Amino acid sequence: MEKIGLYLGCNIPMKAPDIEQSIRQIMPPLGIEPVDLQGASCCPAWGTAPSFDLNNWCAISSRNITIAEEQEVDIMTGCNSCFGVLSEAKHFLNDPERRKAVNTSLAAINREFKGTSDIYHVAHVLHKKVGLEKIRENLKYSLAGLKIAVQTGCHTLWPSDVYKVKEENPFYPSILRDLCEATGATVPHYSRLESCCGMGGMRSTDMEKSLVLFKDKLMSIKEETDADLVVTTCSSCFLQFDMSQPILKERGLIDFEPIPPLYYTQLLALAMGCDPSQVAAISQIDRSGIIREIQSEKRLIKEVA
Amino acid sequence: MIIDQQKIDEAVSTIVGYGGQNILNCIQCGACSSVCPGIKAGFPLLCRNLIRHLLNGELEEIIEDSSSWGCQACNRCTEICPRDVRPQEVVFAFRRYQANELAFSTSSVTSQMNLYETGHAVFTDPSALRKQVGLPETTPTSAYDDKAKEEIQTLINNGPMGELGLF
Repeated sequence: MEKIGLYLGCNIPMKAPDIEQSIRQIMPPLGIEPVDLQGASCCPAWGTAPSFDLNNWCAISSRNITIAEEQEVDIMTGCNSCFGVLSEAKHFLNDPERRKAVNTSLAAINREFKGTSDIYHVAHVLHKKVGLEKIRENLKYSLAGLKIAVQTGCHTLWPSDVYKVKEENPFYPSILRDLCEATGATVPHYSRLESCCGMGGMRSTDMEKSLVLFKDKLMSIKEETDADLVVTTCSSCFLQFDMSQPILKERGLIDFEPIPPLYYTQLLALAMGCDPSQVAAISQIDRSGIIREIQSEKRLIKEVA
Repeated sequence: MIIDQQKIDEAVSTIVGYGGQNILNCIQCGACSSVCPGIKAGFPLLCRNLIRHLLNGELEEIIEDSSSWGCQACNRCTEICPRDVRPQEVVFAFRRYQANELAFSTSSVTSQMNLYETGHAVFTDPSALRKQVGLPETTPTSAYDDKAKEEIQTLINNGPMGELGLF
C-alpha cells in the first residue's frame, strides 16, 4: 500500500473533521495509506505570511514540506488553499537564491528543505494514483440517476505551471467531473463551471461582494442543471455553499431550498457504505434527505458471484 | 496628472522588491482583469488598473484601498497573461507593501495572532466536533505540539512580521 502524508491544514480538522474522517476511511480500501504529518501547521493561509513577506511564506510552507521529506512521503491535502500555497512555495524555491535564504531561516529550527516530496490534492490522488476503475470496484451504492453540479475551486487550477498534476484545460476542468461520474451519477455542464464561489479573502474583506459572486454561480447551477447536490473538492467552497445558501434564502434572494453540498470524499465514503454520522455529519444545510437517498437499498450494487 | 519619473522608479522598485518582479512587462491589455473574480465582484484596484496606478508612480496615494485584500489569490490572471507579468504577484507585492506599512484591516489581525499562537490561521477548539465523528479530540498538528509551535514562532519572529511588533 502506498503511504502518503495527510496534510490537514486548518478548516478540515477544526471545522469539518467529518471531511478528514471521510478521507481517512476511503483511502485504505483504495490502496493508499494516509500517514500523519506530526506538527504540521497552517500552510500558511494567503492572508497571513504570504501577505507580508515572500521568504517568510516560503519558510513556513517549506517547514511543513520537510515533515513529509523526513518520512520520505509525498503530501496529500484536501484543502485547495493549502494545495495552492504549498505548491507555489515549492515553485518559488526552485530559485536557488531564494532556496538558500529560506534554508538559512530553516537552519534556526534545525530543518532543511530538499524538495523531495511532491504536493498532491486528494482529487489528484484519487484520479491519478487510485484511478476511476478502482473507485468503481469499491462502490457499495450506485449513484445512477443523481444529478451533481461540480465545484472544483480555484487553487487546483491556476497557475498551472506550479502544479504537479494539471487539468487538460484549467478553464474547463474535468477531474472532479470524472470522479463524480465514476459513482454512476450524472454531471451536467453549467456555464459558470469554473467561476469563483467568493469564499476566501474576498469574503473576509467584503461579505456583500462575496455573496454577489456566490449568487451568480448558484443561480447558474440551479437554472441550468437543477442539481440534486453540489460536490466540491475545495473545503473553502464547501463552507461557502453550506454557509451562504441559508443567508440568501433568509434574505429572500433565492426562492428554492438550499442545494445540499458534499465534499467529494464524503460523497465517495457514502457510496462506499461508510457511516454518515462519521463521514458526513457537520453542516448547516440539512443533508439527511440526500444521504438517505445515496444509501438507499435500491441503490445497493449486487455483488458479482 | 503630473508624471514624475522618480515616483515611478520608486513604485516599481518597491513592487519588485516585494515579489512583483515582472511588473514592467505589462502592456495594459487587460486580459488579467477580464478573468479576475475580484474585479467582477467590484473591487476597483486589482490587476490591470492596479498595475496602471503603480506604473504611474502612485503608491502612497492608493495605500488605503482595500482591493488587494479582496484578491482571491486564484491566479486566473497569471494563467491568462500573455506577457508573463504574473499579475497576482504584483497584487500581493502591493498587499505586502500595505501590510509592512500597517495599512491593513484590523479583521486580519486575528488570523495573524492565531498563526503565531497555534500555528493555524483558523483555530477553534475542535474537540467536540472531532469526538462526534469518531476522531481523536486533538489534531496531530502544531496546535497540540509545543515543539512545532516554537518552530513556527521562531520563523515568524525572525521575519518581517516579527519586526512589525504584531505579537
